Amino acid sequence: MSEPTKNTTNSIPAVKIERSFVRFTLSQRWEHWVLLLAFVVLLLTGLPQKYRATSWSQQILATPDQVAWIQTIHHIAAVVLILEVLYHLGKAIYLMARRSLPDHMFVTLKDFRDAGQMVAYLLFLRKEKPVSGKYNFEEKVTYWFIFFGVGIMLVSGLILWFPEIITRVLPGGVIPAAKLAHSTEAVVAAIFVVIWHFYHVHLQRSNLSIFTGKISEEDMQTYHTLEYERLTGDDPGESEGGSS
Amino acid sequence: MTRLVLICTILAVVLVSGALLFSSSPGSASPLGQESTPIPNLAIGDEYCLSCHGQRGQTYPLGDGTTLDLYVDPSEHKASIHGMEGYACVQCHVDVGEYPHPPFQAADRRDVTLQLNDICQRCHFDQFELTRDSVHAQAMAEGKTAAAVCTDCHSAHAVQDWVDEQTGEALPSVRPVIPQTCARCHSAIYDNYLTSVHGSALTEENNPDVPTCIDCHGVHNIDDPTTAAFRLASPEICAKCHTEAERMAKYGISTDVLSTYVADFHGTTVAIFEKQSPDAETNKPVCYDCHGVHDIKRADDPEKGLHVKENLLVTCQKCHPDAQENFPTAWLSHYIPSPDKYPLVYYVDLFYRFLIPTVLGGMAVLVVMDASRKAIVISRRRKHARPLVGEAPAPPSGQASAGSDEPPASAVPRDNDGDEPDAVSRLSPDSDESGEEADHG
Repeated sequence: MSEPTKNTTNSIPAVKIERSFVRFTLSQRWEHWVLLLAFVVLLLTGLPQKYRATSWSQQILATPDQVAWIQTIHHIAAVVLILEVLYHLGKAIYLMARRSLPDHMFVTLKDFRDAGQMVAYLLFLRKEKPVSGKYNFEEKVTYWFIFFGVGIMLVSGLILWFPEIITRVLPGGVIPAAKLAHSTEAVVAAIFVVIWHFYHVHLQRSNLSIFTGKISEEDMQTYHTLEYERLTGDDPGESEGGSS
Repeated sequence: MTRLVLICTILAVVLVSGALLFSSSPGSASPLGQESTPIPNLAIGDEYCLSCHGQRGQTYPLGDGTTLDLYVDPSEHKASIHGMEGYACVQCHVDVGEYPHPPFQAADRRDVTLQLNDICQRCHFDQFELTRDSVHAQAMAEGKTAAAVCTDCHSAHAVQDWVDEQTGEALPSVRPVIPQTCARCHSAIYDNYLTSVHGSALTEENNPDVPTCIDCHGVHNIDDPTTAAFRLASPEICAKCHTEAERMAKYGISTDVLSTYVADFHGTTVAIFEKQSPDAETNKPVCYDCHGVHDIKRADDPEKGLHVKENLLVTCQKCHPDAQENFPTAWLSHYIPSPDKYPLVYYVDLFYRFLIPTVLGGMAVLVVMDASRKAIVISRRRKHARPLVGEAPAPPSGQASAGSDEPPASAVPRDNDGDEPDAVSRLSPDSDESGEEADHG
């Protein structure tokens, strides 16, 4: 670590202490991995079923055996995702019961204001980006979009998986509706992840804290100013980010 | 030398006379196959043959102890297409020649037919070749001698013209005869067919729009309808007529039946298998699994139609034994969802039609705007060619290192509120363990 500083010859180099904050806990990082893998496997095995008219998908679904395999893999990945969702919700409920559920993922009025300010900023009507807490409004959009997207996928997917059981209770029309919702929402989620999530974590800036768990002090100050101030105890009066 | 000339002349005469003979014979006689069969001796007229065969009571002994009736009804042949166009007996019975005939042996009556049947290819080569691919030829090859050959359907001496020269299709007057012809062997299927919407329309009103046997099964190269390949390809057979707007309009039948089938669960899979693995066995239903094979009923048949909910449920239960009352409506019944038919599907579709352009489109716009603003800021900075301040441990550190593209004002005013590096290092919240709690706290 200290090696590079020796290179500077005469003047004392500006030693920079790299500090970082924990942004995601180990279990949250694991959750992201599971979600990521399940998402990829589900897309890989699901999209061919949706785009059945294309030759690449027909290669994959060419024989009854292959279709059975694809469906089995899809179902296994679905079960993994269901377990992940149950863990996620169970943890949230547990924390809620202990009254210790962090509130920084909840959508507040400030997020709408931030979004408006961001648009103004992007239109050069404002000079600054809105400052945010632990999660800015883009990240909250990501979380809740995926949250409800996964919800739609799981509900519609289970309806498609057990049509005979579902129709004992619900009218038959829910099945074609679930099929449409399932296949459309899948594409919506995939497009969303590519244009929104990938842009924000890869193109706008490389943000790998969901994998490393850490965020550098600079990034914390720049992108999560309010959270930085809250954690460092600076200027408590400023914290409008914590409102909920 | 003169001998050679002579031989050449004789050869030429034979060839020319042969050519004349064939050009004089009418109809669609094809010269193909003539090499494999003897050339008929046209000097033997029908009267010569009928002088014996026109008289009743002549028989010929067969191998199984039965006898072959040698009588030919002269009027029957005259009334046939061959008779009307002037074909002579010897043009089919080419190797019989003058009396006494060459020796002929046959095990039984069927053997006679099979031996004589091959001669059809002499003129009708194309059709004969097609029959070689048929399920009948296949059965014959397996030793099932009852399998149909040419004369079983067309008869031997009473062959009729069944084809409209212009269209190549069966003549309207012939259409009702076709199922009767097949019924000579396939009588149980025929009885079923008569009860179907197609069969009854054919027999009761000679309706030109309904299929006879050959419209689905083909004519000479009739496929084995029990194979997996036939099953997978069968929706195309039904679709031939059922996607034809003009024909269906007369009966108010939707022409979307194929597209809606292919768009739904069952048809999707069948369509892919048909293309990718045409011989695959699949449990996915094709048209006839629900609508019936030969006893196809109108969907709105008050007793047996699939519009009757109970009938549809019974149909579903063939493959979905656990299906109950609500289950059949899971199938869109070839409807395209609308506010009236399957409103839930319609509104889900509408929802996404709205959501995708507005929400995803809005996000895309934001992302593009963000990227362009960055690009604009960067290009402006380049223009101003501001000296780099990267190395300086400037207090507004967020701007200096990470947010080089940030507008300078961004984090600065807040940081200036007393955000000294020392203040930060005091807290040093950098550790995984403490982070666990900090995160939830």
